[in-house]
Amino acid sequence: MAMLKLLLSYLSIHPSPLRNPSTSLHLSQQAPAFLSSSESTKDTQETWLIYEQLLLSCLRTGDDSSARVCLQRLSGRFGVDSARVKALTGLYDEATSNSRGELESVLQRYQDILKEDPTNMPIEKRRISLLLSLGRTEDGIEALTSLLSHSPNDAESWAHLSSLYFTQGLYQQSVFCLEEVLLILPNAYNIFARIGEVTYISASAGASGTNQTEAFEEAIKYFARSVELSEWYLRGWYGLKLVTGKFIQAKPSDGTLRKMESLNQLATEKLLQIVGRFRRNEKGWMGFDEAEILAAKNLIDRDEQKFSR
Amino acid sequence: MATVQTQTILRDPQLFYWILFPITAVMVLTGVLRHYATVLMQSDPKKQELSAISEQRNLLRGVNLRTNHNQIPLSSFIARKNYLVAAYNRGDFLKDPENKGKPPANPMTDPAGMDQMMNMLKGNMAMMVPQTLIMGWINAFFSGFVIMKLPFPLTLRFKSMLQSGVATRDLDVRWVSSLSWYFLNLFGLRSIFTFILGNENSADQMTQQMQQMNPASGNAMFAPGQDPNKMFLAEAENLEVVGGQHEWVLDGVVDRLLKSRV
Repeated sequence: MAMLKLLLSYLSIHPSPLRNPSTSLHLSQQAPAFLSSSESTKDTQETWLIYEQLLLSCLRTGDDSSARVCLQRLSGRFGVDSARVKALTGLYDEATSNSRGELESVLQRYQDILKEDPTNMPIEKRRISLLLSLGRTEDGIEALTSLLSHSPNDAESWAHLSSLYFTQGLYQQSVFCLEEVLLILPNAYNIFARIGEVTYISASAGASGTNQTEAFEEAIKYFARSVELSEWYLRGWYGLKLVTGKFIQAKPSDGTLRKMESLNQLATEKLLQIVGRFRRNEKGWMGFDEAEILAAKNLIDRDEQKFSR
Repeated sequence: MATVQTQTILRDPQLFYWILFPITAVMVLTGVLRHYATVLMQSDPKKQELSAISEQRNLLRGVNLRTNHNQIPLSSFIARKNYLVAAYNRGDFLKDPENKGKPPANPMTDPAGMDQMMNMLKGNMAMMVPQTLIMGWINAFFSGFVIMKLPFPLTLRFKSMLQSGVATRDLDVRWVSSLSWYFLNLFGLRSIFTFILGNENSADQMTQQMQQMNPASGNAMFAPGQDPNKMFLAEAENLEVVGGQHEWVLDGVVDRLLKSRV
């Protein structure tokens, strides 16, 4: 009983272990023990959930033999024709292939599956990410748009498409996709902050036909909305501080300057609070990303130097 | 003077072992059996065509836009609205555009609707057949027995509920007949089934009947027999109406944020 419970509680603390290398490593190290334990033969929903997560983290950390066992048991239970198992099999093949040629053959297989059953969404998504990892960004974008034309309420795909457009420098399209995400998930504070970031970046890149101060003001609004929804969202406060700083530097003539200064001050306070609590290892404040904390600290320091000079 | 008369009936204690217990056991076992029979008979949900999926999801996109339109700036909203309304009116997302003006297909001839009805029929059969059998069995073997006495008094109204099959006027309401015990089991075993089989069991008939009374829940939005074109046109109209009430949530957000600070 112990092993299963251990893994379940670990997964409930870290709901997406793949996001972080250390959690996926930890999970994959448990894999051999779990696979040989008697609980691994139980036929419950939790067991299969664990199998899937173990498979993914093992692939990530290079434990291919454990991944193979997980995949075999999953396909033994649900059948090789199940859409999800097919996608996992494809993922395994992708991860274990050594050359570009092998990847191309996996891609070909995806295309065959899709020709047979065009409604297989997991495979369609795998095909898109494989296209992208092969470096064929344009094809990837095209495949994503075709997916979204028949499933326009898939927030994940819109967000993905947005980041692809962003890498291509197509800021307006990127914002459009993020707005679509907002229509599906109206309270996604991270998406609000992301729109703010994209708006700010496109304004600083000097996108044609935009007034920079106006764009900054809009970005500030988006950041403000994100922290209104989530009080301790670091990226939101960071963006707020950064952009209001730039805005004040530009010295606008109208009366918004005072408001921006107080916003800047508020953001600084909040950032200092987050950094301080993180540094002191306070309980409940450890979920922040180390790198983001560091960046916030740098931003504050830079600002202080400027004022003291 | 008002001594409460208590009826005493001499019952063979074997009644408990040979009637009360068997009825209960049989009821529980049929419940379990019915659960597994329903699981076994359920056909997999049929794969939908890509065009059908596209039709549903594009309609949902309009619904999403209508409900969350305040999240995006007015210009973005207007652009999306114009595109969707035009496409809806043209019927771009319809599964089969050539049937646009025709009345909806008869659900009896539609294979998808047929499938659903088959499932319903199967569920009904799994309920009806054992119920009739057990009822007949009890009637044939145990009718007319008084098998137990409730430990608490009841009003006269309960007589018809507790003493069906025993036609005596003067018998105290606390006595329960075998047929009534069957009915009590029929309605009262739900929590036991939940305990044995888990929450999503199909052993209990009452829950199933309730589901049939109320089919509106779930995926009723795309029930067979509805004309998708009409739904699209209605949604286009809704979008036009909502267009006049746009209020961007980001308006005044900076003031709100600064105000919340003090």
